This record gives sequence, C-alpha cells and structure tokens, in this order.
Amino acid sequence: MHPSTELAPHPRSPLGLRQRLILALAIPLMLIVVTSSALDYRLARRTADTALDEALADTVFDLKSYVAKQQGSGRIDLTQEAEAMLRSNAPDLLYFSVHSAAGELLAGDVDLPAFEAPPEVNRVQFRDGRYRKRPVRIALLRMEGASGPLITVMETTGKRQQSRQRILAAMVLPNLAVVAATLIAVLFGVRHGLLPLQAVEREIAARSVADLHAFDLTASPIEIRPMLSRLNELFVLLQQASEVQQRFIADAAHQLRTPLAGLQNQLDLAVGEGAFGQNPQRLGHIEEATSRIGHLLSQLLAYARTEASTPAPRVFEAVRLEQLVENSASLFLDAALAKDIDLGFEMSPTATVGLSWMLQEALSNLIDNAIRYTPRGGVVTVRCGSEGGQPFLEVEDSGPGISPEHATHVFERFYRIPGSSGTGCGLGLAIVSEIAHLHRAEVLLAGASPHGLRVRIRFPAALPV
Amino acid sequence: MRILIVEDDALVADGLKQGLQQLGYTVDVATSAEEADAFVADESFDLALVDIGLPGIDGLEFIRRLRERGNRLPTLVLTARESMEDTVRGLDAGADDYITKPYRLPEVAARMRALLRRAHAVSDACLRHNGLALDTRTRAATLDGEPVELTNREWAILEMLLMASPAVVSKDKLVQSLAGWDKDITPNAIEVHVSRLRGKLAPGEIVIRTVRGIGYRVDAPVN
Repeated sequence: MHPSTELAPHPRSPLGLRQRLILALAIPLMLIVVTSSALDYRLARRTADTALDEALADTVFDLKSYVAKQQGSGRIDLTQEAEAMLRSNAPDLLYFSVHSAAGELLAGDVDLPAFEAPPEVNRVQFRDGRYRKRPVRIALLRMEGASGPLITVMETTGKRQQSRQRILAAMVLPNLAVVAATLIAVLFGVRHGLLPLQAVEREIAARSVADLHAFDLTASPIEIRPMLSRLNELFVLLQQASEVQQRFIADAAHQLRTPLAGLQNQLDLAVGEGAFGQNPQRLGHIEEATSRIGHLLSQLLAYARTEASTPAPRVFEAVRLEQLVENSASLFLDAALAKDIDLGFEMSPTATVGLSWMLQEALSNLIDNAIRYTPRGGVVTVRCGSEGGQPFLEVEDSGPGISPEHATHVFERFYRIPGSSGTGCGLGLAIVSEIAHLHRAEVLLAGASPHGLRVRIRFPAALPV
Repeated sequence: MRILIVEDDALVADGLKQGLQQLGYTVDVATSAEEADAFVADESFDLALVDIGLPGIDGLEFIRRLRERGNRLPTLVLTARESMEDTVRGLDAGADDYITKPYRLPEVAARMRALLRRAHAVSDACLRHNGLALDTRTRAATLDGEPVELTNREWAILEMLLMASPAVVSKDKLVQSLAGWDKDITPNAIEVHVSRLRGKLAPGEIVIRTVRGIGYRVDAPVN
C-alpha cells in the first residue's frame, strides 16, 4: 500500500548542493592561487636575475680593469691565472671577448659574435641570446675614450635555471598546501553546514503517508525556513483535500444507506405479500445484491473513517484485546451459524494501546472475511494473546487460503482474488491494513493446516511507561 | 403494542410502518424530533424506533431530552453511521439498542421483541422466552405452563443468559456474577450447571448454545 520512497538514480541528475558549494569555492580559489603564484614568481625571478646580472657585471668590470692596465699595447694578454679566475664560474661556462672600436679582437674567444656597442660608456648593458646552441646572458661594456674597446661577456644560464626552479618550488608548494587545506576545510564545513538539511530529510523519510503535521520552523536553519514553510502550506492543502475526499465518500455512503434501507423494507414486504412465489431463486439474487451493496457501503464508510483519522498516540488508550474478541462473539455468532461454521475463540488476556473502536473494526473485518470465504461446515477461530512481548489479534479459517501471488495484492483497495466465491467487496483487508498502520502494527498472512488462512495483527511490544 | 417511528425518510418510514403493522403492531410515524415530542407528550407508546439523522434536532438529542424528562420509553436507534464511536454516543444518550441501515425487517422485529421483553421483565417482573417464563418475584419457572425446578445457581445463570439474549455471555461474567454467594465457583462448575439446565429445558425450544472458548448464548426467541 505504501510505495517505497527510495529514489531511482536519475540519469541526468543535477549537481548536489555539496558539489555546487565545493565547485563554487574551489574554482575561484584555484584561479587566485595560480594568478598570485604567477605574479610572485615573476617578482622573485626578477630579483634573482638582477642579483646574478650584478655578479656578471662584476666580472665585466674585473675584465675592464685588466684591459685598462694593458691598453695601448695593441694586444691584450691575460695571464693564465687571470683567465682561469675569470672563467671560474661553475656550474656555468663563461665566454668573453674584447674588441677594439675598429672591431679587431684584442683578447678572448675568437668565435664570439660581434655586438653593437652600447651608446653609453662604462655602463653594462644586458641582453639574452644563444651561443653554441645554448641560451646565454650577455653583458656588454664600452670603455671610455674615442677608441674605447668593447667588452663582451657571455654566461650560460645554469645558475639562473636553478634559481628559477628553486623559486618556483618555494612559491608553489606552500600555495598548493594552502589550497589543499582550504578544500579539506570546505569539505568538512559544507558537510557540517548541510547537517540540518539531512535532519529534515530524515524527518520526512520517517513520516507515514498520513502524517502531515507541520515542520517546526524555529528548530530549522533560517535558510531552509522558507522552503519548509511552503511545505507546511502544502501539507495543509493536502490534508484539506484528503479530508474533503474522505468526507465525500463518507457522505455518499451515508446518504445511500437510507434509500437502500427503504428498498430492503419494500423487498421484505413484497416477499411477505407472496411476491416471487413462482421464482424464489430471483428473490435470492435480489437479496444477495442488496446485501452486497449494504456491505460495500459500510466498508466504504469504515475505510473513509480510518483513512481520515490520524490519531496521535496521545489519544490512544489502553485497549484490552480479549474484550474486543469477546465483543465479536455476539456480533458474528449468527452469521457463522447461518453458514454452519464453528466459530470459536482462544483468548489469553492482553492489552495494547490504541483506539478501541478502530481495533474492533479491524477484527470485525478479519472475522467477516473468514466467514465469507470459508465454505459451509468450516471452522473459524479468533485468538488474542502475546508472543515475544508483542500482543496480537488473530483469525484463522479453514477456507481455501491465499496463494502467494495474490498475497501481496489483498491489501489493495477493491482487490478481489480472481475466481473467489465470497461476496466481499475488496475493502476489508485494506481497512485492516490502514488501521494496523495507524497503530504501528503489522498484518501477517500465513497458511493454516491442512488448508486455510491465518491473519495476524501484531502490535509493537509494550513500551515501558 | 404501540410503536412510534421517528424517521424523516418517507420510503423507510412507510416500509417499516407496513412491515410492523403486518406483525400486529400499532404504528405512528413522526418525521421530526419536534413532532415526536408532541406524540410522546400526548400518548403512550411501548417502544420508539428513532433515526439519528433527523432534520433540526437529531435523534440522539431527542432521546437525551426524553431521558432528561424521566421518560423510560424503550428506544431502538436506526443509524446510517456505523461505528463503535457512534454506538457509544447513542447508548450514552440513553438509547437502549441500535441497528444499522440497511436492515432486514425480521432483524428489526427481533431487536424490538428483545427490548420489549426486557422492558416487561422490569415492569411485570417476568422473563418470557419461547414458552419459558421466569417470575422474578416468586422465583417460579414454568416451561409451556409446566413448573420447572431450578437451583439458585441454575436460576442465576439462566436469568443472565435470557437477559443478555441474543448476545453471548462469557463464562467469566457468569463466574463473577455467581461469586457474590458462591466464592469458589469455577468455570468447570458453570459447565455442570449449564448441562443440567439443558436437561431441564430439553422438552422446550430454549437453545443454550456453547460458544467455543467464550461461554454461552440463548438464541433469540422464535416468535
């Protein structure tokens, strides 16, 4: 009766709140980290490059002081120690040349390319270039005087690469750590922040179909109050709609009963006046039809009443089950005698909490069904007692029983087992199921030996008061 | 016997009236509680059949007012609402019994007879049932005019069963009611008494039926 509320996975389900929050936080966070890392890296690299350029400039000035001492001799000779000192620049290689203003090589490496002299004298000019297929940093210096020679120094970029890598590592790793820590914090924060939503979800999941009481807004986070408030309004509308429907069914059944009583009266009178004398079978059919209509109307009324009421446990009171069973003896003895059915009772004193009239109704439906579907001369036994601390009401008959393929359907409204002989209307077990549900009880179907049906309403174990 | 039907639905009222007239009752019909009040004030009735769903003052309110005035007129409530709740409300209002629509005429007649019998048992102190008569003043029992000797316990059991008929009386209730002057009576002893009662009533049409697991019942009288 109550369909499973489990949701099937949707093929294109939209992003969850948590995913949305995490994405919304993670993407800008990553962008900020990348941008700031790039800016930091540029600044740090410039600082490191400037320091290395100054070191290179020192080498240029060292060379210049040699050249200045030996100027005028046409050719410049560097001692081996001086050249070794100049070139000692591990891990980088250092190349240099000194050209006269006329372009004549005065000292250094022969194959160094010639560069245009910087316009300013005694000021080192830097540029990037390639030499012997490797990137190099080039420093140029024009010495003073009209024929001031041009000093060129090239340095491979090993140290620069190393420093860049170190800077990169020093900048990016801590940034990445910060990002990771932030994301973890966000994950936990989001999960924690969504806990109230989960609480609401659990409350909805725990509700029965008939439970339409309003959510407590004051206990909910302010962000979801508007949603809960709309839900509460919807609950009210649903409740009203359901009440209108139940009232309509009850009124209709109620209104139909009086004319049916009139019809029955007239029929009885007609029989008394000798009608149907020639065809008593016809009378039997008419009587069966009217009695079925009457039964359907009372079942409809009972169903509408149980459906409409959602008794809160506070209106429940102690109900003695053996009293209900005893009451049903007087209610059903004549119906059982009319079918020559042995109606018996096995009672052991037990109590549960609930609504007495409703439980009587449920038990009556079980007994009524049992008498209807049990052939003449059969046995129907009504029991109450307690098993494993759980009180129960039970009706066992010696009828045909219910096969497993029908067992799941018999609680549906207006379901009648195909080919069954009884004159039921298919509402009895639906009413029983509804009443059991309101009492948090289970309805269990079992076979009886050698054949027959045993229906048990099993109540929850008594709660300690 | 004079019967008052309080019912606003003409079809139902007419059907009941004719049916009861055929059974030999004198019948008057009131279509509202106000009209019924007027009838009851002027004339004397033996029993009233009262529909709950009357226009204006409803049937239960009519019975409540009747009882407030001290009128003990036996009332059988006709109700289109069937539930224990309404039944309890009806009996609380002072109704003596109820019957649910739609009903069969023989069923109504049987309930009426039971009510009339109870009312008469109180007024003339005599319980009558299918040829059996228990005179509660003289404690004399007769079956088809022949005196029947009953012990005190048999008398008490039979009286309870007849008063309750056609309802079922549990052995526990019988034990409780006999415990007043027989503290040690057991359910088994009840069985012995009932068995003897059956023997003494055997020539007549009194059926004391055993209801498996609960107790006994005397079937409703035939006429």
